[in-house]
Amino acid sequence: MATPERVAIAAAGVITPIGQDLEAFWSALVTGASGISQIERVPVADLRVQRGGEVKKLGRIKDWRGVPDCRATRLLIAAADDLCAQAAFRPLPLDPARVGVVVGTALGGVEEGEKALAGDRRRLPGALYDAPGWNLARWLGARGPVITVSTACASGAAAMAVGADLLRAGEADAVVAGGYDALCRFVLRGFDALRSLTRDEVRPFDRRRSGLLLGEAGALALLVRERDLPRARLGTLLGYGSASDGFHIAAPEPEGRGLERAVRAALADARLSPGDVDFVSAHGTATPLNDRIETAALKRALGARAHQIPINSIKGSLGHTMGAAAALEAFMCLLSAQRGLIPPTLHLEEPDPECDLDYVPGCARAARPRIMLSTSMGFGGCNGALVLEAA
Amino acid sequence: MRAPAVRALGVLTGRAQPGGAPPILTLGRPERPGDRFRRATRECLLALAAVDAMLEDGKAPRAAIAGERTALLYVTAAAYGASNRAFIERHGGGGTHFAYTAPAVVPAEVAIEFGVTGPYGILIGGAPATLRAIGQAARLLDAGSCDRALLLAVEIFEECADLYARHRRFNRWPLVETAACLWLERGEGELRFESVRGGGPAAPMGRGGERFAAGPLADLREWLDRATAGPLELAGRWRDERARLGWSLVTSHARDSAA
Repeated sequence: MATPERVAIAAAGVITPIGQDLEAFWSALVTGASGISQIERVPVADLRVQRGGEVKKLGRIKDWRGVPDCRATRLLIAAADDLCAQAAFRPLPLDPARVGVVVGTALGGVEEGEKALAGDRRRLPGALYDAPGWNLARWLGARGPVITVSTACASGAAAMAVGADLLRAGEADAVVAGGYDALCRFVLRGFDALRSLTRDEVRPFDRRRSGLLLGEAGALALLVRERDLPRARLGTLLGYGSASDGFHIAAPEPEGRGLERAVRAALADARLSPGDVDFVSAHGTATPLNDRIETAALKRALGARAHQIPINSIKGSLGHTMGAAAALEAFMCLLSAQRGLIPPTLHLEEPDPECDLDYVPGCARAARPRIMLSTSMGFGGCNGALVLEAA
Repeated sequence: MRAPAVRALGVLTGRAQPGGAPPILTLGRPERPGDRFRRATRECLLALAAVDAMLEDGKAPRAAIAGERTALLYVTAAAYGASNRAFIERHGGGGTHFAYTAPAVVPAEVAIEFGVTGPYGILIGGAPATLRAIGQAARLLDAGSCDRALLLAVEIFEECADLYARHRRFNRWPLVETAACLWLERGEGELRFESVRGGGPAAPMGRGGERFAAGPLADLREWLDRATAGPLELAGRWRDERARLGWSLVTSHARDSAA
């Protein structure tokens, strides 16, 4: 079978609770900073857990251009603004009709739906899950395909894969792809009701782990065909795999078979074997079930290699940023390769015997991985995996 | 891109309710035995019913679509609106109610019920998203990532009828609730997708009303009721995008007959 067209990640831009641009995000990760704080923007007094990874001081939309304003859109545009700065372009250096936008989200514009149902009916069109993606396209001036994917908390990975497909199919010459989600009452109430939030620190793979905290973020990459990019890049998107659990609407399959299939599919897509993988960014939510299941799945999918390589989770630092999580984790992988440092798994202090892989506790580790795997799991049994190559 | 072949297609389409004020043709809530479905949302139950209809159309047992060699793609523009609204307005909503607000849960119920564990994808948008998803399915089949691909589309409107009525200018009427599932296999011929933003040729409106993402599958059902092979063009629009899918289609049924 022919090798698929290689797709480069030319640049990335982010806004996160630990840093409002890519450099700040990276610095906070490697120094072990935490973005978890009391949630201030929406009322939480009635909720069991009132903390999360909230982006403080998120400014109004920069260079407004008539884009409908909502927090989800602001996160996307803040990430896009950083992306434009990182890629050193604005306006887009291409025919706008050849620039696509693909974003992943678990929540879309649902906060606009909350406001509309509370009486502000003008907000209603913004409640559709694809509204923020279209707002981003308008702000960028992109006139190519605009696609929203919503595979729950695996959305960011799926969006990058769909973006790569657009390039391979010749539908676009550049794609701005990634993910976002904003903290709002809707999701905070929902996870509170699910009892999956912790009052403690988020402790991925720790024996004492007791749940996740939610975060909000925007994370976007500029994807281009590698042959069209003469200059330096962040890395290459080599492969993607997905698989359904077919088990439960909200709980992961107990053996992690779906995640295992997704990892195998991603490696096959990248034409690589488990022995090629140098580093794994785990989904690592710090729920009792997730981390044990993910460990088992990685052991089966990677075999002996799983015990030989570093694996981390950055959710202790910024919470679970839902639609943005997989894209942020992919960027962390590429920055690790570029900077020669792997960020630690924050708050991992007492390893769980059932999570017996090298989860990088303590502080950042000197290493320069070449091939990286990033895993994601979401509601509905959505499992996704990305394979990335260092520049 | 190589065109997939149609193995089967199930389409459930809404009907006018006597005295119904808003021009919405509804599908109602299908009954499904089993305690597991007690709290399932209407869009989930309709998705399951659409898969049942597809299996009936293909005269295939449930086992024929089970396993990791079946891909599942889901498209919708707004089916999640009903469950999102219910959770927002039900101030004491529980965890299960919240889980059902995720668009991903609609294909998840299909995956659980029919044992589908292969690759998946979920696109949010109108008819162009569905045409793109057919292209995604074709790519998965062509790459050997699956042996069959199911494309599920669900749109429901009744629970948000008042909201749609307030924003009539955004929609064409009547709104027709539709749940559809298309079974694709490896095929022959060519599949050509084109999309234009802003200007461009007008997309024909599906007969009988607006079905958002489910429109192209309802159009395909009408075409299949008349023919089993030949060039087909599906079209649709959403926001400022107009898309067309040129499909030199041969159904699996037609291929079997020729053999």
